[in-house]
Amino acid sequence: MSFTRTPGMRLAGVSTCVPARVVDNNACAEVYGETEVRKVVSMAGVQYRPVTDPGVTATDLCFEAAERLLRELAWAPDTLDAIVLVTQSPDYFLPSSSCMIHKWLGLSEHCAALDVGLGCSGYPYGLSLAGSMLLAGCRRILLLQGDTPTQFVSAGDHATTLLFSDAGSATALERQDDAPESFHALCTDGTGYRGLIIPGGGFRDRNPVNPRDRELHMDGGAIFNFTVKRVPEIIGASLQFAGLGQDAIDYFIFHQSNRFIMKHIAKKCGLAAERVPLILDRFGNCGGTSVPLTLTQSVPAQRQGDLRLLCVGYGVGLSWGASVLSLDSQAPLLHQTYSGEVTRQ
Amino acid sequence: MNSQVTVTESEVLEMLASAFEEPVSELRREVTKDDVPGWDSMGALALMAAFDEKLGLELTAAEFREMQKVGDVLDFLQQRGALVNAAHP
Repeated sequence: MSFTRTPGMRLAGVSTCVPARVVDNNACAEVYGETEVRKVVSMAGVQYRPVTDPGVTATDLCFEAAERLLRELAWAPDTLDAIVLVTQSPDYFLPSSSCMIHKWLGLSEHCAALDVGLGCSGYPYGLSLAGSMLLAGCRRILLLQGDTPTQFVSAGDHATTLLFSDAGSATALERQDDAPESFHALCTDGTGYRGLIIPGGGFRDRNPVNPRDRELHMDGGAIFNFTVKRVPEIIGASLQFAGLGQDAIDYFIFHQSNRFIMKHIAKKCGLAAERVPLILDRFGNCGGTSVPLTLTQSVPAQRQGDLRLLCVGYGVGLSWGASVLSLDSQAPLLHQTYSGEVTRQ
Repeated sequence: MNSQVTVTESEVLEMLASAFEEPVSELRREVTKDDVPGWDSMGALALMAAFDEKLGLELTAAEFREMQKVGDVLDFLQQRGALVNAAHP
């Protein structure tokens, strides 16, 4: 397990953005059959899913989340030292989508922009990376995470189509010497890389013979085995690394993978249900962005004192990570639906 | 890894009935997965979770795919030391 600690990183605010169009899974019974839909809704816990319209991308969702957050914080564009975009739904193979957001936000040439190709585990990885950059000298960083899994699932595969949704996010991080220390634990098991994969369309198989290979293949059983084994381990290890007990954590912010799996993990770890928020019923599984989305949906916008969070992401890679960090009462938690009308530079 | 907990055959059938949403009266050793509508990917997750929670036993996706009938599930548990008084006909 790779452990890092980042003193002096303040979580200054989180903003999330979801598509305005919402699909009701119960309305999909005609296509997939009433029994199948009922099983997915009752097991995965997904009733409604925000879904992007054609032509709208994760980059667009992240842009609107970022624009609102910068406005709320009154952070001038030239005060950002870096933007880090975690996504597996880029607009193009190249350039990096973060460069487009850099343009749209009117950021300075002195601001670094990079994409990180991770999915469900991406939020703790992004926090760890941004924390290290702050420790190395950056002052302000925007961590963006967004994905549009609904655009790469196979319409014929009800197990994934009825599960996934789309979302974008922006998290403002700044250097503040007296900010409480954050702790990160990061892991990978590359032997499971085929467990969640789009096998075609990349440079290994540029033009796949089978068009289905341009869409997501998921080995649900293998992912389940991985999750129930690895997530409890990393929760325990990150708490130990931070020198904290479970009771010191106000919210365990899980990647919203599947209600059945999340409840199983929470029970296995002995976590009280009220400290493990679930938002799958209204938002589905939007990939790793579900971590910041759960934050804006479940942690009160008006708060007294600091809260301590444990954020955990797990999935495609196979990759998993956890971050223990503090959220002060001044940091805004914002949420909006995508308008497509925000002015771009 | 072997289970530290043991169950009887009837308890296993109850677990299968719950995981596959099938009346327990319909489940016998010789019943195949084609006879059980709920023996699918979601039934697999439910069974894996039940084994993990009640027996501390990992049932892998590959092992589940190999199972063709109820008797295969019982044999699996017997091999892992989790099944007592298995009554082979």
